[in-house]
Amino acid sequence: MNSLILTLISIVLTITVYFGATALSRRVVSPFTTPILTATIVMIVILSSFDISYEQYSSAKEWITSLLGPATVALAVPLYKNREIIMEKLMPAVFGLVIGTLSTILSAVWISKTLGLSDTIQATSAVKAVTTPVAIEAVVLIGGDPALAAAFVITSGIFGAVFGPALLTVTNISDPFSRGLGIGTVSHGIGTSQAVAEGPVTGAVSSVAMGASAIITSIILPWVYPLIQL
Amino acid sequence: MKNVLLFLIQIFLLWAIYQFSSFIVGNLDFPIPASVLGMILLYILLSSGIIQIRYIEKSASFLIRHLALFFVPFAVGLMNYAGLIKTTGMQLLLMIAGSTIIGLLITAGLTQSLSRREKERTHHEQSHSHSH
Repeated sequence: MNSLILTLISIVLTITVYFGATALSRRVVSPFTTPILTATIVMIVILSSFDISYEQYSSAKEWITSLLGPATVALAVPLYKNREIIMEKLMPAVFGLVIGTLSTILSAVWISKTLGLSDTIQATSAVKAVTTPVAIEAVVLIGGDPALAAAFVITSGIFGAVFGPALLTVTNISDPFSRGLGIGTVSHGIGTSQAVAEGPVTGAVSSVAMGASAIITSIILPWVYPLIQL
Repeated sequence: MKNVLLFLIQIFLLWAIYQFSSFIVGNLDFPIPASVLGMILLYILLSSGIIQIRYIEKSASFLIRHLALFFVPFAVGLMNYAGLIKTTGMQLLLMIAGSTIIGLLITAGLTQSLSRREKERTHHEQSHSHSH
């Protein structure tokens, strides 16, 4: 009974905080008001101050995240509506995806090495850009840690969602297609949730890039990772 | 009332596609997330005309608009990493930020410049054929 009430309260709380965060992002336009960032911080502060552990929160988590799969499936709708624009840029997209995915992996491992981080962290950093279910499977093949991978993936997603759009704007990357491709490649679904706010083309392309970079990463990683070690 | 029911049926349809994809991915030795496979499946259903876009459009745009909400509970999981953040948080953030920026600008920059070049080329060819 008690845990049922806690679950209900946690669900209502999460939804309320989320809507508060989106209202704030509309009023104060800044990377730092990106809803996924502010909602996460507020939720962590609330749970910690009421001494609610993440494990106690997990049943509420199950309920809310059960819509994540259907929501991602739904991205086929903007994809289908914008199929002509997307097909037109297929070749540049394939190049961008492959080179971009490779440079994301290489730079992550290289920076980890330079900073003197452990072998486990180096291996785990290689999968940080791809969506969680694929990351936790791919990371095992190269000696990384799945739980840590999930944390890296989420942080990369939030970083990409928060700073990605602004970074693209200051570097004069204005093409909605290219913006979506970049955001989806480096920050998967969390980045995509922000890309959809830019428009249907950016959102749809971001979701395609999320899927494609996950597939590319898990296929090339077992081959590429030993080569980085040389 | 009728609208609410219709909306729920639409969400159920998307959910069913996702469950089916999860089942396929579970029996498949290929690295594809179930949600991405579901997206491909729905795309095929839409292009083949088996599902009309108006059947699912309302619930699809609703779910997509609130995509960020469904990630919040996962992101809250970072609270379990307070210890790691205290010891190596700065280095990890530097690695994640650096690599995300490099990957983002290379992916998007390369795609934009290649697609502009391609556009110019087809433009040239077109104006060329016009002059003939």
